[in-house]
Amino acid sequence: MNDLPLKNDIAARFLPLIVGLMVYLGTLCLVFTLFITQTTRSWEMQFTSHLTVEIPTSPTLASGPLQAQVLTLLKQTPGIRQASAVPPKDLEKLLASLLETKTPIDATMLPILIDISLEEKKNLDTPALTKKLQSISPHIQLIDDREWQHQVSGLIDMIVLLASLLTVLILGTTLVTTTFATRTSLLIHRQIIEVLHLIGATNTYIGQQFQKHALRQGLIASTIGSGVACFTFGSVVFLLKKAGFSAAFDTVFFSEALCIFALAPFITSVAMMIAARLTVMRALAS
Amino acid sequence: MSELIAQLVGVGLHYKDGPEVFRGATFDIEKGSFQFLTGPSGAGKSSLLKILYLGLKPTWGTIHLFGENPSRMHPSNLPLIRQKVGVVFQEFKLLDHLTVIDNVSLPLRVQGVDRKTSHQHAQEMLEWVGLGNYLNVYPTTLSGGQKQRVAIARAVITRPQLLLADEPTGNVDDEMAMKLLRLFEELNGAGTAVVIATHNPRLLTQYPRPHLEIKDGTLTKSASPQ
Repeated sequence: MNDLPLKNDIAARFLPLIVGLMVYLGTLCLVFTLFITQTTRSWEMQFTSHLTVEIPTSPTLASGPLQAQVLTLLKQTPGIRQASAVPPKDLEKLLASLLETKTPIDATMLPILIDISLEEKKNLDTPALTKKLQSISPHIQLIDDREWQHQVSGLIDMIVLLASLLTVLILGTTLVTTTFATRTSLLIHRQIIEVLHLIGATNTYIGQQFQKHALRQGLIASTIGSGVACFTFGSVVFLLKKAGFSAAFDTVFFSEALCIFALAPFITSVAMMIAARLTVMRALAS
Repeated sequence: MSELIAQLVGVGLHYKDGPEVFRGATFDIEKGSFQFLTGPSGAGKSSLLKILYLGLKPTWGTIHLFGENPSRMHPSNLPLIRQKVGVVFQEFKLLDHLTVIDNVSLPLRVQGVDRKTSHQHAQEMLEWVGLGNYLNVYPTTLSGGQKQRVAIARAVITRPQLLLADEPTGNVDDEMAMKLLRLFEELNGAGTAVVIATHNPRLLTQYPRPHLEIKDGTLTKSASPQ
């Protein structure tokens, strides 16, 4: 039971609506950040652990012996776990999927691609390897996708940072709104607070009245906001899966996303409770 | 020598943009004493009570309550002093959104007593003031006299060492006024010091007790009329 009629407070009438909306936006923003982070992480793993060697094919080049020489060099190079030529049939399939029309492919004209798997904890000296490869044949190329991958992941990091900032901003807005609503409530109920003081109530006791109310209000509003966000997330996942993007969502991502939806109401309401308490204590002390 | 509840030395009050209310008020309130505070309307009786229940700081002079000087105390400790003082406000100051029983039990709750126990005590107090059948009604539905009794029950529920009542008989007829005074006397008999502010001279003749009189900004002490 509350000694202050905070339930019927005009000042805080829209607070649950604002909190619900903020939690909705905040949780979705966090889940989006999580999705981007996870996707980038798995994508980075692929690029950082693989390199490709391209041996061009031409009538003047004896690519068969070159391939054998390159494979021998690669197997002797420290930092390389495995090196194997991509089977011509796989190359044809890959190329066919990229070409819109059913153009016949001359397999003999395709370059030889050697897929290199790198050892996880060892650094490969790529400039030295390039030199060695080019000493075999100047036409051989070492394709290292890690350079542009660094640039793309930098851009993704920026997006993640912005999304995180947006989440913090949303939480900040919720807390500022709570603070304003609490301040207005303090003004509205100043006569009751005066009576409470005169009958011996401490500032802590009065602060507890406000913090309990903020906690209750925050918990209800943010649970609804988080619930609706969870529903939105489920709908988006369903639509994406229908469109063929199922590979992007693994169980780890799902469990982390559900954790965000479950924890958001508690974190928000506790933060609101602390904001209300600090506002009251500061106002009453002055 | 009797134990002192309150000691005022040279206390005066001057509102910021108003006239001087009173000056040089020097008196003691002893444990178990009963006195009236009289004077015409606007003489400063309510202001003096306000100073005693720490609702107002005096402009001049010093005040000691229960051996402590409130002006030298940390604000967080003032509630401990206020919890020893029961106040019946002139305008009752009941909380309209709370039921009668919740209003009366409020001083106990702010002291940390649980709801069930505080309600038990509040019920006893309301029966004592003759409002045992009004536990769950809201103050807005009560008459002036009933509100007065609820205010008294709330003021005494913590068994305060000092009870300050501001015009407690102002809204009731003579019969009810005598009933209320008997309630105060009962409480006084249990050891509570009682100070009642009134501008009704008939009360003093019907109920002879020592009194303090504020007139023209000066406080004078009078013994119990014979």
